[in-house]
Amino acid sequence: MRPDPSLCYVGGVKIALAQIAPVLGDVRKNLELHLKIIDRARKEKADLVVFPELSLTGYKLRDLVETVALDPDAAREFRVLKTLSRDIGLVLGFVEERPSEKGMFYNSAAFLAGGRILHVHRKVFLPTFGLFEEQRFFAPGRNFRTFATPWGKMGLMICRDFFHLSPHYLLFAGGAETTLTISAAPGRGLSEEEGFASSRMWELMGESMGRFAQAFVIYCNRVGFEDGVAFAGGSFVYTPMGESAGRAAYLEPDLLVREIDLRDVRKARKAWPFKRDDKPEVTLAALERIVHGYDA
Amino acid sequence: MAMTLNGPFTIQVLTAFIREELGKAGFSKAVLGLSGGLDSSVCAALAARALGPKNVLALLMPYGENFSADMEDAREAARAFRIRSLVVDIAPMVDAYFAALPAGRVRIGNKMARERMSILYDISAREKALVLGTSNKTELLIGYGTIHGDTACAFNPLGDLYKTQVRQLAAELGVPEKIRTKPPTAGLWAGQTDEGELGLTYAELDKILYALVDERESRADVIARGFKKKTVDMIIARIKASEFKRQMPPIAKISTRTIGHDFLYPYDWGK
Repeated sequence: MRPDPSLCYVGGVKIALAQIAPVLGDVRKNLELHLKIIDRARKEKADLVVFPELSLTGYKLRDLVETVALDPDAAREFRVLKTLSRDIGLVLGFVEERPSEKGMFYNSAAFLAGGRILHVHRKVFLPTFGLFEEQRFFAPGRNFRTFATPWGKMGLMICRDFFHLSPHYLLFAGGAETTLTISAAPGRGLSEEEGFASSRMWELMGESMGRFAQAFVIYCNRVGFEDGVAFAGGSFVYTPMGESAGRAAYLEPDLLVREIDLRDVRKARKAWPFKRDDKPEVTLAALERIVHGYDA
Repeated sequence: MAMTLNGPFTIQVLTAFIREELGKAGFSKAVLGLSGGLDSSVCAALAARALGPKNVLALLMPYGENFSADMEDAREAARAFRIRSLVVDIAPMVDAYFAALPAGRVRIGNKMARERMSILYDISAREKALVLGTSNKTELLIGYGTIHGDTACAFNPLGDLYKTQVRQLAAELGVPEKIRTKPPTAGLWAGQTDEGELGLTYAELDKILYALVDERESRADVIARGFKKKTVDMIIARIKASEFKRQMPPIAKISTRTIGHDFLYPYDWGK
């Protein structure tokens, strides 16, 4: 079915999580990789393909950031991707720089469908501690908002955004039925259990966020190594009831294809009417007091 | 303490690392120095699994007839993992040097480590291979290695594993039991053992390092766990004193853009 953003498609959506290992700093090679995977996903009859964080560039760019930055409204790469998105939805990660904001580089995610860019999210929470140094090289985004897609209202997050409570709440309050998180999360901490401790943290939070929001939680992480850091993979889908609907391999490239049924959002919200009973005005008033120190 | 590893998963991570590091650099083969000890045997086993035994060359670099038991263990390890091996005796080069410039055993030991490094890099060029590092986290942290000697390598799969963890992996990888149970030695002089030289066991050393480094505990908290103050202080002092072995040397900054300061590119640039 050819998606039309003006129609709210109700029912099954086939989502492909493209767990790839991008080449660091080579947009041309990464675009080729994207095209190959999109082709595979199309053969699997996927409606939407989700790529990881900075999928067009690789993650640990440091001073390479400016050499791989793209203007999504003008770049050749985006023209190719927009054309492809006429019959398959795409979510991917890139370094964004607009002519109107020269020298401002954002770690961004684009959602493309119906031949257009429907939304660009700029990563708000740039981790800068321990092994992370994103604030050294990127400007922070300043917003979380939901947007209409051919498959219901969605919201985007990028990696560390997911670990903060506020984006989940804002997307929930904004009416998201599905949150999509693209990620370049390193695997950290080994124990006697299989997989990294950090992977279990993601899964636990994915399950919880599905339950909190009665929404689909879709997470696409990358794999491969950069400068000795292993990206953990383990991309996943949780349902609005907090049930696992599939997990990709740890460490290895994978293409996880899962059909989700958007009617499950309605079912979950009938059983658990947290959305109906939410009071964003109470949150807003309390936040005003906290932020402006009225209580102090 | 979460020092116990999931063997199969750890092996999966490390073999993927070896394969990718080589592949990205355009290589398919690895060389490593095989001493007959635990670390190099584990590294050889990992490399054989990652690359296929034919793509791994072990260099056995004895000093004359000394440590012949270790050389026998190294041969056994190479046979066990079906990797190729080559023996290069370092005695002629080392002896020639110290005949001209006599020295004590520490200088001789360091020179031997650098002689082996020099041979590894030369053979790696001949073989179109990269040099695998075999230093573990314990020795890297306390600086128990020779700078530009045994710590020199193209990449290191073992550098985030404590000695205790290397030992766990060894069992999982089928390293011959004799190698797993003998006392670790740097092989710098006869009768030397790591634990004798350091004055404590790896079991205790690793517990203290794990608390200080992985768990980010303070000196006081580690001592409160029941470790001797003297031992903890000795370890902290060793970590501090050996930082220079873990970093690239500082460059005096005079320009507006300087290597290491604000000329910052990833190691895996374009890979």
